[in-house]
Amino acid sequence: MTSQLREVLNRFDEGAVPRSLNQMAREMQLELGVLQVMIDYWVRKGKLREVGLAGNACVTCGTNGHCPFIVNLPRAYERVREGEAEPNPPCACGGGCSV
Amino acid sequence: MASQVVKIALAGNPNVGKSTIFNALTGSRQHVGNWPGKTVEKKEGRLYLDGVDVIVVDLPGTYSLSAYSIEEIVSREFIIHEHPDAVIAVVDAANLERNLYLVTQLLELNVPVIVALNMSDIARGRGLTIDAARLSAGLNGTPVIETVGSNGLGLEALKQAIQQAAASREQRRAVIAYDAVLERELALLQNAIEAIPALTQRYQPRWLAIKLLENDEDICGRAVTDDALLAAARAAAERIESETGDDAETWITDGRYAFISSVVSSAVSRPREALETTSDKIDRILTHRIYGLPIFLLLMWLVFQMTANVSAPLVDWLDAVISGPLTRWTAALLGALGFGGSWLEALLTEAVIAGVGGVLVFVPVLIALYLAIGVLEDSGYMARAAFVMDRVMRLVGLHGKSFLPMLVGFGCTVPAVYATRTLEHDDDRRLTAFLVTFMSCGARLPVYVVIGTAFFGASSGSLVFGLYLLGIVVALATGWALKRTVYRNKPPQPFVMELPPYRAPRLRDVWRQTWSRTSGFVRKAGTLILATSIGIWLLMAVPTSGGAQFSAVAPEASLFGTLSKLAAPVFAPAGFGTWQASGALVSGLIAKEVVVGTMSQIYTPGTPDADQSEAPNLLNDLAGIGSSFGEALVLTAQEVVNIVPRTLNIVPGINMAEADFLGAGDQADDTTALEAALTQNFTPLAAVAFMVFVLLYTPCMVTISAMRHEFGRRFVLYQIAYTLMLAWIGAVIVYQGGLLLGFGG
Repeated sequence: MTSQLREVLNRFDEGAVPRSLNQMAREMQLELGVLQVMIDYWVRKGKLREVGLAGNACVTCGTNGHCPFIVNLPRAYERVREGEAEPNPPCACGGGCSV
Repeated sequence: MASQVVKIALAGNPNVGKSTIFNALTGSRQHVGNWPGKTVEKKEGRLYLDGVDVIVVDLPGTYSLSAYSIEEIVSREFIIHEHPDAVIAVVDAANLERNLYLVTQLLELNVPVIVALNMSDIARGRGLTIDAARLSAGLNGTPVIETVGSNGLGLEALKQAIQQAAASREQRRAVIAYDAVLERELALLQNAIEAIPALTQRYQPRWLAIKLLENDEDICGRAVTDDALLAAARAAAERIESETGDDAETWITDGRYAFISSVVSSAVSRPREALETTSDKIDRILTHRIYGLPIFLLLMWLVFQMTANVSAPLVDWLDAVISGPLTRWTAALLGALGFGGSWLEALLTEAVIAGVGGVLVFVPVLIALYLAIGVLEDSGYMARAAFVMDRVMRLVGLHGKSFLPMLVGFGCTVPAVYATRTLEHDDDRRLTAFLVTFMSCGARLPVYVVIGTAFFGASSGSLVFGLYLLGIVVALATGWALKRTVYRNKPPQPFVMELPPYRAPRLRDVWRQTWSRTSGFVRKAGTLILATSIGIWLLMAVPTSGGAQFSAVAPEASLFGTLSKLAAPVFAPAGFGTWQASGALVSGLIAKEVVVGTMSQIYTPGTPDADQSEAPNLLNDLAGIGSSFGEALVLTAQEVVNIVPRTLNIVPGINMAEADFLGAGDQADDTTALEAALTQNFTPLAAVAFMVFVLLYTPCMVTISAMRHEFGRRFVLYQIAYTLMLAWIGAVIVYQGGLLLGFGG
């Protein structure tokens, strides 16, 4: 017995190549919004993880942490492996802190 | 005077037009405050309907009624404890399935629900036909009213539905039948709840059973404190998980979507292609497994055509202004103040104007680059580029996420090093940081442009593109090798990326981002590059042999020249074994723009142009600056137009003529003093080898500092050694290989 929510996770597990949410929604015959909500559900449950770049990186060039070179890419998600640690968030202080 | 008072709640997902309907219903009769004890805004309005005083409460926009956010808890508590006479669920007809999730939860609360099928015009525009009667039947007779909040369509029908709901106070039974295992446990829990009157007075038993199985934080242990009931709920949840393999919450959520899916499939008809948008169709080509990469490369080639060629006339103009009138006025002013021929004049003209000015002339190049990249970003293509490159990264065993810092590295390597923090494995972080230095940052671009333009003219765009591409190839090859030797860990995880719809770039946003990026370059010119230029001038002013005076020494006899000569033989096999070239490269360790600044100081130290011998004439100079600027703008337009023939001419058999707005040879006369000096001191082959060295060698000191902070001194030492060795080998291969192939010395 496989729930549709579980099917979303399975597709992450099976995916050998990068895919877009739109592509996955089409394959699963789902509205994009519904797939997004299902993914949000698994993110909350710690089974998927949102990946991407935060807005800040460093202050070494005097941009006060608002580096214009940070490319704001849309959200992406990946499966969380068992026992895997959360990545360090990009730090706005550019150094000196313990993050 | 109204005799009956009814309370209506407006619920819905964010951005479904709930506020528009609220305003249309209540007009100006509104009160805005906060929910008690919460910072969430509460809006309340009044509506009079045939003697009925209707209080309309606008609940916060939420996607569900779980306890994940304060907005969800506020909405849920209002419905449970304030007992509204009806809840209007405003749903976006164009995203029905997502929006109906909240409706199912409202129905489970057993309150009278009216569905306002809003934005139905947008749904129709997308080819969706929604049968409101069938939708209503699927939702167990819940009234469904089609509305368009923006023009008031359906508002009267909605008011009638409010009146009917208020009159009948009819409640709808929960309609979702869950999986058999779940229903069995729900029934057991429901019985247990019904045995506790304190709970049944406040909560609908089935809803409470569902919440207990979901392990809802706000219910378990707070609203429900009965230990036996909580233990029964935990036991039920464990049985469900052991029998089905998934937890109860997952099955409950899944059951709601299955219910929604069956309702929608009976009530909504959509054209076959409705699931595929225009953006999806474009993506079929742009992110295609085979064509995606060549298209990405073609677009990058166009970006560098624009960067190198389109900006060239404005670079020439700026160079002429800085080396001409600006230098003349500075010298004249200092002469008038009694500093003519002094070390101060040399400092200002040779360090500040030649050094910093020599870098600032490339501002148009960076504007062109960031403008082109900004257009790609704002149109939505950059996300596709990351998507396409992810495949390439994976081919060599790198994590797809590594491309994100590498993309940042095209602007500046320092934030790219910090951006590696998004990678969870330390090995992946180190490897990616190792590779980002090969992504040519914006600071290296002036070096490519000045040398490319000097030796390759209109083909410099292709040359710059080739260098960027070489950087990517070297990064991938290094990554491939290190992944199989030093940084072995688990294979990379695939990821799924949201691809936003394509859109026309918003020029204001593109310009804001472009200026933000370019201004960093200008700021750096006024600080780090200025300081470095002064430092190099000082080294060039100090004689190493007796007899010569401070600031009156030949460059090659200065301390800078003497030290540079020591390093020069190392570069001889690469074809640029001169003290000037080695001096520029060493200074580039501070910042890559300094390579150009130093070359300007060495080759054109306050070079008097043809007019400098004449007395400066302000009016003549201003007129000259104005007319040459106009000419530069015309030539810029010409270069923009010429992108088309240059692109088409790539195709064999096509030989489209290029536009020539001002007559042939105009641009040939605009060679800058530095470009002219470079052609006398480098051969074309040595110039290419020099650029390859600049591309690959050790990053600037700020990047080194960032790497040391993130990964430690040992990592940095390896990085420096590897990049220096690779750059030298690369440059030697280019030069010696070129000689062997007969490209001349």
